[in-house]
Amino acid sequence: MTAPKKYGMSIDVDRCTGCGSCMVACAVENNIPPARPGANDRNGLTWIRVYKVDNGEDYPGKRSAFVPVLCQQCGEHTPCASVCPQQAVDVDPQTGVVGQMPERCLGCRYCMAACPYHARYFNWWDPRWPAGMEKTLNPDVAPRMRGVVEKCNFCHGRWHAAKEKAAAAGKTEIQPGDYVPACVEACPTGAIRFGDLNDPSNDLRHPDSFRLLEKLGTDPKIYYRSKRDWVRQAGQAARPVSPEKEASRG
Amino acid sequence: MKTTRRDIFKFAGGSALGVLFTPAPWRLITDTALWSENWPGIPRPARGEIRAKFTNCSLCTAGCAVRARCVGDQPVSLAGVRGGLCPFGVTGHHLPYHPARLRQGPVSEATAAVAEAIAKCGPDERVAVLDLRPGRTASWTARRAMAALKSGLYIAPAQSPVAVDLSKAKTVLSLGAPLVERWGTPANVFAARDGFRLIQAEPVESRTAALADLWLPIRPGSEEALALGLAGQLSTAETAQITGLTELQLASVGQTIASCRLSLVIDKNMSPAVVSLNVKLGNWGRTIGPRAEAPVPREWEKAAPVTELAAVPDRSVRVLLIDESAPGEYLPWDAIEKKLAPENPLVVVFAWSANGYGRHAKYVLPTPVYPEALDDIPSAIDSPAPCFRIAAPLVAAPAGVVNPSEFIASLAGLPPSDTLRERAAAIHQAGLGTLVTYADAKSVPVKDVKPDDFWKALNAGGCWVGQALPPANPQAGAATVRAATVRERLPRATDDLVVIATTPPAASLISPLFTKLYQESDLLLAPNCVALHPLDAARCGIAFGTHAILETPNGKWSVRVLTDSSVRPGVILAARPEMAGAQGKVVRA
Amino acid sequence: MDKHFIARGVRRCSTRQFLLWILPWAALLAFGLYSAGLCLIEGLNQTNMDNRFAFGLWIYLDLTVIALGAGAFFTGFLLYILKVEELRAVINSAVVIGLVCYSGAIAVLMVDVGQPLRAWFTFWYPNVHSMLTEVTFCLSCYLTVLLIEYLPIVLKNRKLRQVPSFLVFEFELHKLMYVLAGVGTFLSFFHQGSLGGLYGVLRGRPFAFREGLAVWPSTFFLFIISAAAVGPSFVLLTTWLVQKISRKPLVRPAVLQLLGRISGLLLAVYVLAKAVDTLVWINRTSPESGFPAAQYYSWRPFGTWILFAEIVLFGLVPALILLAPKLRARTGWLVSAAAMACCGVALNRFVMTIQTLALPTLSFDKFLSYYPSWQETGTFLAVVAYGVLVYSFSFRYFQLFPEERELKLEVREQEEVFIWRTTSSSAPCTQ
Repeated sequence: MTAPKKYGMSIDVDRCTGCGSCMVACAVENNIPPARPGANDRNGLTWIRVYKVDNGEDYPGKRSAFVPVLCQQCGEHTPCASVCPQQAVDVDPQTGVVGQMPERCLGCRYCMAACPYHARYFNWWDPRWPAGMEKTLNPDVAPRMRGVVEKCNFCHGRWHAAKEKAAAAGKTEIQPGDYVPACVEACPTGAIRFGDLNDPSNDLRHPDSFRLLEKLGTDPKIYYRSKRDWVRQAGQAARPVSPEKEASRG
Repeated sequence: MKTTRRDIFKFAGGSALGVLFTPAPWRLITDTALWSENWPGIPRPARGEIRAKFTNCSLCTAGCAVRARCVGDQPVSLAGVRGGLCPFGVTGHHLPYHPARLRQGPVSEATAAVAEAIAKCGPDERVAVLDLRPGRTASWTARRAMAALKSGLYIAPAQSPVAVDLSKAKTVLSLGAPLVERWGTPANVFAARDGFRLIQAEPVESRTAALADLWLPIRPGSEEALALGLAGQLSTAETAQITGLTELQLASVGQTIASCRLSLVIDKNMSPAVVSLNVKLGNWGRTIGPRAEAPVPREWEKAAPVTELAAVPDRSVRVLLIDESAPGEYLPWDAIEKKLAPENPLVVVFAWSANGYGRHAKYVLPTPVYPEALDDIPSAIDSPAPCFRIAAPLVAAPAGVVNPSEFIASLAGLPPSDTLRERAAAIHQAGLGTLVTYADAKSVPVKDVKPDDFWKALNAGGCWVGQALPPANPQAGAATVRAATVRERLPRATDDLVVIATTPPAASLISPLFTKLYQESDLLLAPNCVALHPLDAARCGIAFGTHAILETPNGKWSVRVLTDSSVRPGVILAARPEMAGAQGKVVRA
Repeated sequence: MDKHFIARGVRRCSTRQFLLWILPWAALLAFGLYSAGLCLIEGLNQTNMDNRFAFGLWIYLDLTVIALGAGAFFTGFLLYILKVEELRAVINSAVVIGLVCYSGAIAVLMVDVGQPLRAWFTFWYPNVHSMLTEVTFCLSCYLTVLLIEYLPIVLKNRKLRQVPSFLVFEFELHKLMYVLAGVGTFLSFFHQGSLGGLYGVLRGRPFAFREGLAVWPSTFFLFIISAAAVGPSFVLLTTWLVQKISRKPLVRPAVLQLLGRISGLLLAVYVLAKAVDTLVWINRTSPESGFPAAQYYSWRPFGTWILFAEIVLFGLVPALILLAPKLRARTGWLVSAAAMACCGVALNRFVMTIQTLALPTLSFDKFLSYYPSWQETGTFLAVVAYGVLVYSFSFRYFQLFPEERELKLEVREQEEVFIWRTTSSSAPCTQ
């Protein structure tokens, strides 16, 4: 029996350019369909979504940063796992990944209300691709029909492929380079890094690291990094904004 | 024993009860979960042998090396070999299936019409090719074809005569160049980024400005003035007045770049003012030098020269063939239309879709789309060494498409030939440079490679890297520009807002998955959106997310308005280059 | 035409008038079924719910009607277990209200979920940690109980009781009434509580999250108390409304006042518990999650007025009114206070469902607003129409108010005396 892994990520906000490669690479890997005509940023499917945050100042004092937010793979009191009425959410003790089973999902959306990171997405429509584009679908991931919730699972299909590759080579452990989620692979600046948090040799946890909404006690496995104080502050709870500031902010 | 009806019922009842104790009905019930998941209408991905194919991405001059994961022959995902790809590169394999993609066109009709028009050309009339992505081997073919025609003319947007080397720079001053947004070769830029301090001068807090070490919020259109000011050709006071910066800021920037031994000043296209500033700072031969091209066969050098659009006499072009088949520069249609003959000019456009210049053309001929198209990629602006990379097709193009350079070559009567192979042969013959192959991560000097192997490697995503040209004489830039000229070129301060374009324009077709970045997240400014400072929006009476009309001298567009305090007050940020440049206003719909 | 189905000794309006009454409600029901059908066939994109507002009008509606329908279990508990005999006058009506509320809520829930065909999964793969599992089980069981409690009311119909086996069945069932009432109370205790627990356990939503007792957050208990408080008020309100519409006395005023008093008492307890809970939440629970409570009320339009309205205006005030005998004795005050109590609970459910989801959790979230689409509103109106129709049919053909006949006789006696005293002319008897 191999030692349990705790897969996590380190996202360097000081490097993220907000290009969106991670978002589209995720959609390519996981067979996420393009938006339907009525869709917008509140009912779209973006398992990883890059948000633009800023320091609250007006032009020209404004400074922005880009924060990719995906399922934080909460370790402690996983908010979504305990609330699903039919156990469609499963926390894998071997990898630490919080898995979502669309075939089990009833579509009650309780887990979506529970998630403070808004990392869960509902299929409001049936998936539809332009004619011929179904040929480009990834055979390792099943497309979902409408009425079910889905979210990032650290590219579980790739984990399976890596395990098979290791097994074919007679090994029990996945070789580190073999299992890389699509967003990590696509990031042009290398802002997103992935690895086993239990492995002391990687530096996914860094002195400049912070996690989103730490005080909630969800123990997320995504560590963000930035040298800028205001970015670290932005990772914490919602703050009330004065009406004047609201008027001049974008 | 006689079997009565009662017995049968008893048996049936007993069996029904008994079956409940077997797994059968429960498994069947559980299977309904899978049936409801694979509802009719939900596509099932095709399965097959998984293969890796290598090519180079031809969506921009970066020409990133790509590894395609294919199911059988169909690419299902693309990944960069030297790091990640931009979102266009990641989704490139969707382009052939775009709903607006053209598959058929009036090819024989167009051929006949063009031949007829060429024959009827008057003495002062020209046949021209407008190549929006010059520098390719196909561009050389077009030039040779125009040289073979008696009235042929080859028009292309000006290419930068210089190339920069970011890896050598310690301080980079960027005058509006979108350094982190597909300017140059992203893999090189990000590899070099930690080695230099970046100062970004731009009216908007763009992505590059947000990630820069220092952002100078200058007035729109004042980049040239800033370059001249730093070169000492405009006084500090004047430069401060035009750019909107303080004299202290200017002095500080000037001091920074002058005192740094290895500085570099860049802008979007390396304009003459910027090049001469670099020369003044002593950067020539260090961080900036002449741009080089891969060798061509000697016979090709008899090709037509490159003419810029502005240099073409007005109303002189009878036949215009626009090669829009590779994503490239945008030239406003008005500027092109001026050059057309007044009566019945013939415009033929080679394009992926009819939505670009095709709207103004008589014939739109479909071309292969990336990754169907076989083409080569010119060197990027941050590559002092010349490169030769072939974008090898990953999938077959549909039957009805046309190869623009073959069409143009046959018009001029050039014999059909494998021009890419000829060029590869010429490069191999010159014996200089290295062949880099990504499948096995090897780098071999060209002279150690056999010609056939060289050709094969290039078709499998390999790259030839040559040697940079010796610095020789620095470019004699447009040295003296009068302040008055500079001031004339600035947008006038009126009540109208100034419209400026955003990041490098995308190809005419983008993957349907781009809804993730446009519709489903507002991360990138969508082509139908504009961004205003919230106070400007309030002044125009338009709320965030509502629809409005953008009115400029170039046209009117229905747009969705977003508010963003990264945008300078008095400025409208638009995503499409045709919307930009002039002054415009946003009016409630 | 249908007077053989109407009980003896009571008058109901003519068939034609009845049809005129139900016609608009039937039309509304048809429209509502069409809306719901659209949502089932086209998908939930027909609604205005989205990933941030995963719950909308329907869930809010479910929680509210279940709270209002609590009169069924609570009246049953008071009558059959605590032997408060005066409530026999309204128990049937309360059961019908409960049935209508619960069956309507479950019907809407079936439209609300993305995969209604998988509804049985909760029973097959239950998650013992989830409040929603508990809600599903208890609601289903309780609906069954309500149907069984409704059965005797149906079987007592003038025509149906002519079938001897029905009569026997109904008689035997009646012996078990107190068992059913006990089971109903037990189940209701848990599902009313779990509905509160649904929000109280949301660690990721500090606005809703509460500490509590073992696995049960304080909202579990607060929902039970508030449901028990508002149940009698809603029964009171509907009885008064039916009396007004049918222009007949159906219960003695003392019964209504008793309902009001029970409601007032529980409402006072609830307000006290809620006040304590709110103070703990403001001072400890919420700040410990990194969310100072004052910020929740900085986003318009949900200022502190909503907290005040929920606890004081629609909580303490009706409690005090209902506890004052002199005010209780006056119908205007009684009914207004009952209505305010119902509003208070509706507001509480609104705060827990809609306000919880509107408030941002991350600093780069926005405060979002939501309003239901016409399809959602249509489905909601279908439930209302369904409720009115079922109640109308039950009122017409079944005996919902045992005291009605007595009261009718009393009124008739009084009128005859009046006529006899004032005049001996041949004025027609008013009936």
